[in-house]
Amino acid sequence: MKIYFTKIDGKSKGMYALLAVLAIIAATGMYATYAMFAQGHYITGMNNQIPWGLPIAVAIYCIGLSAGSLVLSALSAVFGQKEFKPFARIAVFVAALLLVGSLLSIILDWGRPDRLMLPFLYLNPRSIFSWNGFLYSSYVFICIVYLWAMFTGRDSWIKPMGILAIIWAVGVHSGTGAIFGFINARELYHSPLASPTFVTAALSSGTALMILILVSTFKATGRFLDNRLIIGLAKLLGPFILVVLYFVTVEYVVRLYTPSTSEPTSFVLFGGNLYTYIFWVGLILLGSIIPCIILFNPMTKNSIPWIMFASLLVVIGVFCERLIFVLPGQIFPLNLFPDMEMTSDFMDGVITWYQVSVAEIAQGLGILSIVAILYIVGLKLFAMLPDEARHLDHEL
Amino acid sequence: MERRDFLKLGGIVAAAGAVAPASSLLYASKVESKNGNKYGMVIDLTKCDGCGECVSACRTANNVATFPDEKINNHLLRIAHVKSKFPNSQEQAIPLMCMHCDNPPCVHVCPVKASFVRKDGIVLIDKHRCIGCRYCMVACPYKARSFVFKHHEGSSNPEVPKTMHGVVEKCEFCVSRVDHGQLPVCVETCKKGVMSFGNLNDKDSQVSRLITSGRVHRVREDLHLGAKVYYLGL
Repeated sequence: MKIYFTKIDGKSKGMYALLAVLAIIAATGMYATYAMFAQGHYITGMNNQIPWGLPIAVAIYCIGLSAGSLVLSALSAVFGQKEFKPFARIAVFVAALLLVGSLLSIILDWGRPDRLMLPFLYLNPRSIFSWNGFLYSSYVFICIVYLWAMFTGRDSWIKPMGILAIIWAVGVHSGTGAIFGFINARELYHSPLASPTFVTAALSSGTALMILILVSTFKATGRFLDNRLIIGLAKLLGPFILVVLYFVTVEYVVRLYTPSTSEPTSFVLFGGNLYTYIFWVGLILLGSIIPCIILFNPMTKNSIPWIMFASLLVVIGVFCERLIFVLPGQIFPLNLFPDMEMTSDFMDGVITWYQVSVAEIAQGLGILSIVAILYIVGLKLFAMLPDEARHLDHEL
Repeated sequence: MERRDFLKLGGIVAAAGAVAPASSLLYASKVESKNGNKYGMVIDLTKCDGCGECVSACRTANNVATFPDEKINNHLLRIAHVKSKFPNSQEQAIPLMCMHCDNPPCVHVCPVKASFVRKDGIVLIDKHRCIGCRYCMVACPYKARSFVFKHHEGSSNPEVPKTMHGVVEKCEFCVSRVDHGQLPVCVETCKKGVMSFGNLNDKDSQVSRLITSGRVHRVREDLHLGAKVYYLGL
C-alpha cells in the first residue's frame, strides 16, 4: 500500500483562531520569563531550600513525552509493525518538537540563559548535565536526519536511523533520570531505579500523548484514521502503565522499609499533604488504575472515546509523577545530622513548602504553546500527515 | 541557495556543533592538590555559644545577598542548633558553612565547571561562568550554596566582588583574604577561639595539631566527601 503524505491546508478560520490563542499564551509566558529576569527570581516559587520548581518538572515531562512518539515511529521502521507506517513522520516530528520544548524550559530556568553556549564550551565529564546537553541536542539532530531520510525516500537509511534514535532515546531518558538518581544527599532522589522508572514513564506518557495528538489532528484536518491503529497503540499503553506502577512500587517499598529513608517516604505517602494527594490520586488512581481498568476492560478497550479518556488520564498522571520526582526530595529538609533535631535561621530541619507562582505557570503554558504552534506550522510547511491512515488489512 | 541545500547545510553545522565539543567528554580531568598548601578548618564546638558574631561579620565582609524575605536571604555561614531526640537534651550550636570537600558533589554536577576545587583545596565558583542552573544547590548535602534571587543594592565591602543576580554564591574561605595572608573573617572575628584555619599539609600547623590530638568529626562523614572542615566535640 502506498502512503501519500501531504501538507495541511491551514487556511480555516478555526486554525487561525487556535494559532492566535496559542500565540497569546506564548507571549504571556515569555513576558513572565522576562519578569523573572527584570524583577528577580523571587517572583517564582523557588527559594534557597527548593532550587528546582515547576520549570524542571515541565522540562523532564516534555523529554519523557518525546519518547513515546519516537517509539511509535520505530514500531514500523525497526520492529516491523508496518501498519503504523502512516505515523512515522509525524511521530519523529513531535519527538523533536517536545525536546525543543524541554530545552526551552531548562534554559529559561537558568539564572543566566545568556550563557547558553558555555555548557558546550566547558564540558564536565563527571556531570550528567554535561552529558545531557550533548544527548539532548544530538537527539534533536538525529530526529531531523531521520525525518530527512523519510522525506527524501532514502529507505535504506530508515531502519538504521530508527535503531540509532531508539538507542539515543534510552540514553536521553536514562540521563534525565540520572539527574536525580545520582544525588546521594537527598533520600528521595538517590536511586538506581530513577533511570528505568524515567524511561518507562516516558514510554507510557508519550504513547498516551501520541494517541491524543493523532486522533485530534486527523479529526481536525478531516482525514481518515483507522480505529484499529489507535486500538493497537492502546494495547501498548496498558502494559507500559503497569511497568511504571511496578517500578514506583518497588522504589517506594524499599524506601519505606529502610529506616534511614522511611521518614521522607512516609512524608510523601502518608503525610496528608499536597504531595500525598498528587501521589495517590494523581499518579496511582487517575494516572494508573483507572486507565488500566479502561484499557484492559473488553467493554471499553476498543472504544476510541474511552481510549482518549484513558490517554488523557495517563498524560496527567505522569505529570503528577514528575512533580513527585522533583519536589518532595527538596521540600523534605536535608539531613545534616541524622537522627538528631536541627534548627537554624536558614530553614534547616523544617519543611518549606513550594508555592508555585503565576509566573512559572505562565512560563510553562507558554512553552507548551510554542511547541503547539511549531507543530501546526510544521504540518503546514512539510508533508507530515498521510492523506489517510488505513490499517494494512484494507488491501486484502 | 535552494531550500534543500540550506537545510542540509544547517544540519551539518548543527551536527558539528553537537558532536565536536562532546569529544572532550572522553577524557576526565583530575583535581589534585599539589605539594603546597591545603587549607582546612577546625571548629571547637565546646567553646561555641552560638553568639552569631561570625555570621554577621561574614555577611558584611562578603557582600552576602541579604533580603528581608527569609526564603531568598542568602547564607554563606549559619549557626545551626542541634539536639538529640532524647528528652530534655542540651542544644548544641554548630556553625555550618561550605565544608570544602575533596570530593565535592557540587563540583561533580556542575555542567560548565564553574564550580571547581582550587589546588589548595578551596572550593570556588567562577561567577562569570556559572549559568545559574542550581544543580549544585540540589547536590550539596550541606545546603552551603545560595542563589542570588534578585539584584541587591549597595556593597558593604567594596574590596570583595558582589555576586550578581542569577548565579550561585557560597563560602569561599574568604579566598581573597587568604591569598593576602590573612585569616577568613569568621576565624578572625571569633573572640572565643572557636575556629582555627590553616594548612592541613603542614604537620605543625594549629589545625593539624587539633585534628591529630583529639576526637574530630566531620558532618555527614558517611557520604565520603572528604570535607575539610573538622569539628571538635560534635
